[in-house]
Amino acid sequence: MLDLETRERAASPERERIVEALIEIASERGYAETTIELILDRAGLDRPAFDRHFRGKYDCFLTAWQEINEGCMREMLEAFNSQEDWPDRLRAVACEIVDNLRNDPGRACFAVEVLSAGDAARARRDMTMRVIASLIDAGRNEMDDPEAVPHTTAEALAGSAYGQVYAKVVRGEADELPALVPQLMSAAVMPYLGVEAGLAELARGFDPPARYRRDVAKKSSPGKSGGTNVPAEDYPPELARLPPGRHGLPREFVVHNQRERLIAGLAEAIAENGYSGTTIAHITRHAAVSRRTFYEHFSSKDECFVAAYDTVMEELRGRVSAAFEGAEDWPHAVKAGIGAMLEFLAAEPSLARLCMVEALVAGPVVVERYDAAIQSFVPYFQSGREGRPPEVLARLSPTTEEALVGGMVSLISRRIIAGKAEELEELLPDLVEFILTPYVGSAEAAKLAQEPD
Amino acid sequence: MPPGRHPLPREFIAQHQRARIIAALAEETVEKGYRAVTVADIVRRAGIARNTFYENFSSKEDCFLAASEFAVKEALRRVVDAASKVDTWPGRVNAGLAAFLHYVATEPALARTCIVEALSAGPAAVERYERSIQAFVPLFRMGRKVSSKGDELPGTLEETIVGGIFWILYQRIIMGQAEQIEDLLAELVEFSLTPYLGAEAAKRIAAEPPSTPSAG
Repeated sequence: MLDLETRERAASPERERIVEALIEIASERGYAETTIELILDRAGLDRPAFDRHFRGKYDCFLTAWQEINEGCMREMLEAFNSQEDWPDRLRAVACEIVDNLRNDPGRACFAVEVLSAGDAARARRDMTMRVIASLIDAGRNEMDDPEAVPHTTAEALAGSAYGQVYAKVVRGEADELPALVPQLMSAAVMPYLGVEAGLAELARGFDPPARYRRDVAKKSSPGKSGGTNVPAEDYPPELARLPPGRHGLPREFVVHNQRERLIAGLAEAIAENGYSGTTIAHITRHAAVSRRTFYEHFSSKDECFVAAYDTVMEELRGRVSAAFEGAEDWPHAVKAGIGAMLEFLAAEPSLARLCMVEALVAGPVVVERYDAAIQSFVPYFQSGREGRPPEVLARLSPTTEEALVGGMVSLISRRIIAGKAEELEELLPDLVEFILTPYVGSAEAAKLAQEPD
Repeated sequence: MPPGRHPLPREFIAQHQRARIIAALAEETVEKGYRAVTVADIVRRAGIARNTFYENFSSKEDCFLAASEFAVKEALRRVVDAASKVDTWPGRVNAGLAAFLHYVATEPALARTCIVEALSAGPAAVERYERSIQAFVPLFRMGRKVSSKGDELPGTLEETIVGGIFWILYQRIIMGQAEQIEDLLAELVEFSLTPYLGAEAAKRIAAEPPSTPSAG
């Protein structure tokens, strides 16, 4: 049996080399002039290698950017948790960010260049910015009246700090960043602890805390090849106490976002009326927003649907990959991944309907996305081939995985069409057995399928 | 701009055309995002000939730069105008910010184009972003004179305040809450004044209505 780490060692160097080459090229030449050919040339790999891991230049950029953001978030939270008092915690975070930017100028430049890749890159950055704002906003817990500071303050402080740091990186003045830290800390502390405390920060200068518990750091970073989600318990408790909507965690924030409400409204309306029977009036009523607001976000029902579909699939993919990465070996990873998918779809029947059933009737643009989404689950199964004996591999055809995904999707869709989305989790043992059998044989597959979690 | 040998009406038209082209760029950008906008889109929206565009601007970027400059200049004019009607510095901040937010709320296309693009685009945008910030910095720096700690405050404090306000507006626009931007006035006034006056005084002034008619 192949454990996850062996698989990673076997699979990731190629991918990592591509990402490293991408970051180098992009920081030297900028987004527009970075080509797949240049990346491969630097990485010393061929085109099929690239295609095995990425769907194109854009995908490669966003993947690398996502990983940098996740790594950055994890490091910030570790720095935050390494200290006791709030200003020390915040200072540790600031020093951590500045150290990283100075020590890895290539990554720093990449973080600037990647914004040319468009809205998706920007949205990932903004997610990280919201976490930084949450860390600043934790300062209100130090106050006699925690509600005394407006909620926009932390957001503004995080955003302007970003702007100043960003400008230094662009100008190649990363060496001046340490001098900026006390200035930024001073401004950040003032609203919460008063002007005097802010001036004390200024007098303190660049003062990084002693290196924190790296052993803890290691433990909380399982996958090196992406999907390195921060475990919930690593979030400082302050984050959980924040008022929802403005400074909460990204997901909480998202629910309060009008766009997100419209997407949820569309899903509900479609669950009620089907795609073709849904009107914009249905959507705005479910979302409790005005028609005008709808048109500020989307030009049509179709556009709203595409946005909804992408949002749901991104969420679904995130959950599946997190579950998959966290398992001890491939068969258990498959079980965990399918389990996460069924759990999500069962908990959100209207979203399940939207992405598994209605997507097929919503027009060519969505159908194309649907196909791509289905395809994106193929590699999870494909990795089950590694290390299998020749007689097993001989049984597998090049399209085995596509067939497995297709079979799984059709079983799931049938339940949803029958209005039994809530019962989807009952499918887990059958699906696990179905998927694993070609790789491990039916007896072993049945045993794994019946194993309690 | 065409050289001065043209008769006056021609120049008048050219100036008018420039404004129209800038407005068209802003509208197109709000609709499809700056990157996707082409000169052809701008020309169509402005109802002018392609030649006319290139008589005024060398490229889409050039046009964008002009739009950005125009917006900053206009915002600054309104802010200074509103602030000059008030005697005290904190009152000026209140009145000036009110005028600024009102401008952003009433010129959504232009304001969105400049604010969102400055914080979304790559390295090319950074200079523009900094220039916009710097335009407003002196108005806040005056607060050091009324602060008892004026000399000791962090050197980049004003950049932090202006940058913070820009960021908040950017986030609200991205989140589709541009209409509620004026509701942010009290919070942003408090944010801006706190380092100079302390939290209590800042909160008190932020609670006062700005002494300039925001409907004008």
